[in-house]
Amino acid sequence: MRSFMTIFKMDMRNLCKNPVLIGFNSIFAALLVLVMGFLSSGNYANSKDSYQYYMVSLIIYGMLNGAMTASNCFMERDIKRPNLRIIHSPAGGFQIYFSKILSSFLFDYVLHVMILAVLCPVLNLTLGSSPIYFVLLMAPIEFAAAALGIFFCCIFHCEETTSTLLSTVISLMCVLGGTFFSLDGLGSAAAFASKISPVKWMNNAFFSISCDNSLIYFGPVFIIATILSILLVVGCGLFFRTEDYL
Amino acid sequence: MESLMTVKNLTKSFKENTVLKHISFEVYRGEVLCILGPNGAGKSTTINILTAALGSDSGEILFRGNKISKQLRAYKKTVGIVPQEIALYEELSAESNLRFFTSLYGLHGSKLEEAVTQALVFAGLDDRRKDKVKTFSGGMKRRLNIACAIAHHPELVIMDEPTVGIDPQSRNHILDSIKKLRDQGMTVIYTTHYMEEVEVISSRIIIMDHGAIIAEGTKESLKEDIENEKRYTIEVEENGKIAHDEFFAIEGIKTVNIVGNTIEIATLKGIENLDRIIALLCDGGEKIRNITSEAASLETVFLKMTGRKLRD
Repeated sequence: MRSFMTIFKMDMRNLCKNPVLIGFNSIFAALLVLVMGFLSSGNYANSKDSYQYYMVSLIIYGMLNGAMTASNCFMERDIKRPNLRIIHSPAGGFQIYFSKILSSFLFDYVLHVMILAVLCPVLNLTLGSSPIYFVLLMAPIEFAAAALGIFFCCIFHCEETTSTLLSTVISLMCVLGGTFFSLDGLGSAAAFASKISPVKWMNNAFFSISCDNSLIYFGPVFIIATILSILLVVGCGLFFRTEDYL
Repeated sequence: MESLMTVKNLTKSFKENTVLKHISFEVYRGEVLCILGPNGAGKSTTINILTAALGSDSGEILFRGNKISKQLRAYKKTVGIVPQEIALYEELSAESNLRFFTSLYGLHGSKLEEAVTQALVFAGLDDRRKDKVKTFSGGMKRRLNIACAIAHHPELVIMDEPTVGIDPQSRNHILDSIKKLRDQGMTVIYTTHYMEEVEVISSRIIIMDHGAIIAEGTKESLKEDIENEKRYTIEVEENGKIAHDEFFAIEGIKTVNIVGNTIEIATLKGIENLDRIIALLCDGGEKIRNITSEAASLETVFLKMTGRKLRD
């Protein structure tokens, strides 16, 4: 346990010293909400609705992109080499990849919650009557995203391939799920395609909590994300090979 | 000599490519065992299997008589590894790097601090302990790379080409350090391309090629094995007065190679015929400008055993 905490603290320290990751998960994400909200404000009866829509949908986009944070802290060139030394130590394989998942999850989660904490009062937006549910639902999704990033690294053995694949898959899911604009108005085929994207389900869950004060989707999404997280961690255990670092 | 590690029949293939073919050897306590070989010989694969970072297809490794697979955690605690690449956090100080990596071996508190300071002194970096690694020269990084591997006082240190791309001063420092480690009773397994390093530090040498061990022994015994001939290089003022074949009339001469004004002669060891070679040249009217005789170096041994063909 002591060595796990040592590795975890080092991973957190490395993430917190990475200006690109901090910027991408905080300032960039907040700016994206402001820009998209402003540009689309004409499409909504109330411009506040535009900001509300993009705050929720782009936070989901940011959460999924947490997979890239995880792959970065697992196999990025400058991090990979010292990780090799951890592999040679008695710490063991599980501690290495689980520490990366946990640290990436915490890093992204804290930054995303901070964005919400800033945007809500500044733009007069809402996370619903019980914001705790909104924040609580973010946790398993952030964790699953981090586990997904590490899982892809374990399979493809390379950060570049993982990032390219993940960004393509995530962007596609987000476009289909209506993160940037709703597909529902583009005909029945587009609406059906939208429904098969998990992002759509997440949108529904978070919008229900924040706009309708409804927890109807909270349970299923929370449980599915939790199960997915567990499966992905198990998958990492199955596919993690120390020789990938050699 | 007491055996610390026994490697038995290791084999390893990557898809169709067999990189290790049933290699077996012993590592004795307190020795510096150098593993030499051209690129692709299987040195790094062997090292990676010894560090337990890579599995073998068959064979076993015994450490103090027990299989390392059965006591992996305990084995890793007693081994220090210097990887070929510099495996350090560039954004952290030398001290923080050492503290982090050493703590993974179970050291903490005052023992950890003591080990960190000792390792910094060992690497000659005590005065730079607070500086970030990214401000260090290549040689300093290499020294710290080694310090991180020995700070927890391992019984066995495995070094994979630890002196690649550094200045002679840092190389000397590292070689002196390895001798110090040996004197302290540590066992070192060391791979390198540099023959002069092997000459200086090795207790024993293993030469590998094409995934197999082709020679093993002390540097003296390896030289002895191939040293069944002596080489003379003779410079003359104006060559061509003596025919190539005339040299073979002298007893013991194996090969004669004439290039410009230089005559290279290989002759059987133990047959004293230099006076007759000189007499032949003088009688033929040649004026001798210089004669050198060459004893076998480790490089000669290495090239003789692995061939001169370029490797990828």
